Amino acid sequence: MRSRRQLAGSMAIIMCFVLSALRPATIPRTYRITGQAQGTNYAITWYASRQSVTQAQIDSIFKSLDASLSIYKPGSLIGRFNESETGIEMDRHLAHVVEKSMQIYRQTGGLSDITVYPLVRAWGFGAKAADALPDSAAIRLLMPCVGSDKLKIKGSRLVKTVPCVQIDVNGIAQGYSVDVLARFLEAHGIGNYMVEVGGEIRTKGRKLPGEEPMKIGIETPSTTEFDAPAIREVITIGDGAVTTSGSYRKFRESGGMRLSHIIDPKTGFPVQREIISATVVAREAITADGFDNALLAAGIDGAFEILRTHPGMEAYLIYRKPDGAVADTASAGFARYVVKTGER
Amino acid sequence: MTQSRTRREFIATGLAAMAGAGLSAAFSPAFGHAVRPADRIRLGIIGTGSRGAGLATLIREMPDYELVACCDIIPENLQKGLSLAAKNAKGYTDYRKLLDDKSIDAVVIATPLYLHYPMAVAALQAGKHIYLEKSMTYDIPQAIDLVKKVKASGLVFQIGYQYRYYGLYHRVKEIMKENWLGKITHFECQYNRNSNWRFPVKDPKMERAINWRMYREYCGGPLSELCAHEIDVVNYLTDSRPVKVVGLGGINYWKDGRDTYDNIRTVYDYPNGVKASVTSVLSNAYNGYSIRILGDKATVEILRDKALIYPEITNNARGVVDGVTGATIAVATQGKGVEVKFGKAGEAELEPTVFALKDFAECVRNKKEPISNVETGRDGSIAIHMGNAAADTEKVQYWKPEYSA
Repeated sequence: MRSRRQLAGSMAIIMCFVLSALRPATIPRTYRITGQAQGTNYAITWYASRQSVTQAQIDSIFKSLDASLSIYKPGSLIGRFNESETGIEMDRHLAHVVEKSMQIYRQTGGLSDITVYPLVRAWGFGAKAADALPDSAAIRLLMPCVGSDKLKIKGSRLVKTVPCVQIDVNGIAQGYSVDVLARFLEAHGIGNYMVEVGGEIRTKGRKLPGEEPMKIGIETPSTTEFDAPAIREVITIGDGAVTTSGSYRKFRESGGMRLSHIIDPKTGFPVQREIISATVVAREAITADGFDNALLAAGIDGAFEILRTHPGMEAYLIYRKPDGAVADTASAGFARYVVKTGER
Repeated sequence: MTQSRTRREFIATGLAAMAGAGLSAAFSPAFGHAVRPADRIRLGIIGTGSRGAGLATLIREMPDYELVACCDIIPENLQKGLSLAAKNAKGYTDYRKLLDDKSIDAVVIATPLYLHYPMAVAALQAGKHIYLEKSMTYDIPQAIDLVKKVKASGLVFQIGYQYRYYGLYHRVKEIMKENWLGKITHFECQYNRNSNWRFPVKDPKMERAINWRMYREYCGGPLSELCAHEIDVVNYLTDSRPVKVVGLGGINYWKDGRDTYDNIRTVYDYPNGVKASVTSVLSNAYNGYSIRILGDKATVEILRDKALIYPEITNNARGVVDGVTGATIAVATQGKGVEVKFGKAGEAELEPTVFALKDFAECVRNKKEPISNVETGRDGSIAIHMGNAAADTEKVQYWKPEYSA
């Protein structure tokens, strides 16, 4: 008996040794968490030697973002602001997003404006689809409710100067969410990752163990709302964020015309511009996401004017030429990101 | 048509005396009444059974028409028709007497299939514009002959394939043209129900008159009475007609004395190898009416009053890159059906037949050829007969050049 126990003991020691040698403590591998949030898909990929982040943690982050920023979620903070007469106390999510939105509102000459929500609803792109299209009289009636100059931040309180002011941060919230998730990963010691929420992306570091750069495809505008993505350009951005705004996937059709879901806050009508897709690279996703709609609404010349006055941002624009053909153009600094041009 | 005259005469008691009288007579083109745009079209309905009365219910609400006459050999049906007609509308049991009324501009014919041809020919001779219920004719020679007679008449002749007038199908056709579905290779059509498909009969003598759908003497069974719509839809969506067809059918569930199939499954071959399976099963009602269009990019599933698109899941983009930036894809659109939007925002949803009847009025007033016309009707009817023949003979049936010469 004794000898057998001894044998078992030494076997256990050997097994431990073998197991610890096999344990990939030092060889990083790929971790991936995917799911659905904010009405779209998300994917978080990181390269590390252990799983330090769980799906439950990610889901709870989305929950806290939705409770603050979602116009679709009943009882959300933003919903309560929209229903209020004068305003509400903000939480840190809403405070950050509103502050950044108002900054971009000023920087884009009012083309990016979160107070467009009454117009968005009227055109049928709100939480509920509208039956009929509004006429210009209906839009005129809503215009006094539109304009970020009717918002004031007083401490942690967001105040509206007109009761009918309502905000919609959908144009920037996904970018912000990407930043929040990226910060969460970094706080858990992850330095090589890609965070993607509904086509808005932030990357840092490289793919391990091979040290390859992370490649991002820029989608070719599709003809339908559900087409699987096809790649037009492949870029790598190192440590930074890239977002895309396109009028090709979300639109209403009326009399053979496609109405963009991006509403021009100055006219009250859907943007009818030559740009069909605007991709912006910036340090933070909230910045890129905050500007991409504005570039789309500004048109080619207007977009380059905005880019010229805001260094630290590069853009790639796909547009329709007067003859209907699709073409693209980019800011000068964008070329350094491009690694491959896809099939056209 | 000839071997069972006595039974048919029994069915069509009211018209027995006149049967055949006008059919062999030389066809003389007649001129339809000119209907002024502001006038209501004076309409008669021949056959006010379930379908005819259904049409009368819709027509009653339409300012285009004044329903001034009804005809049916079954007293209850005639009464029902007249109750839906104008105040002083006349009732007939002999359709020829209805056609003799010179004040009638147009007729709806909603009778058992075997009566379509003789009634349509008589109506053309009487100079009436015609809305003839589907399917068009009992057999292939009648279909070919009716094309000639309608063309010679200069009258408006519409077949009751109302889906050609329904925004849902217009939108599906547009989507196909815009290549949303990619390369389309197959159609899968079914028109199923879980019932014996019979109407109650009080007097046993009336069995064949009321349940004419059960008997080959009067119609082509499920293919001509149910699947006809789907065959016409495939013809409409592909702008073509079948090249050949195979089929199997049987009476394996409702062994109740009927001689039309209670299940039939056919596969039609269209130009370029596109195949359309057309099925009717009378013992299962799951998704009773449905047409699936299979493309290499997506599937469209057409149901009664809606259509869904199911995109193919392709992950071509992944693998090449680690992530894709693009306009947000809604979760609801991935792997699940996306409802096809059609019609104008805020527009009232109407029974498709209302659109068909509106267009008929428009064609009568402006002497236009209907979208569902004698030639598309012929193509549908010939395809139906080919399908039944394929099942009857267990042999491939081919579209012969003389069918569409």
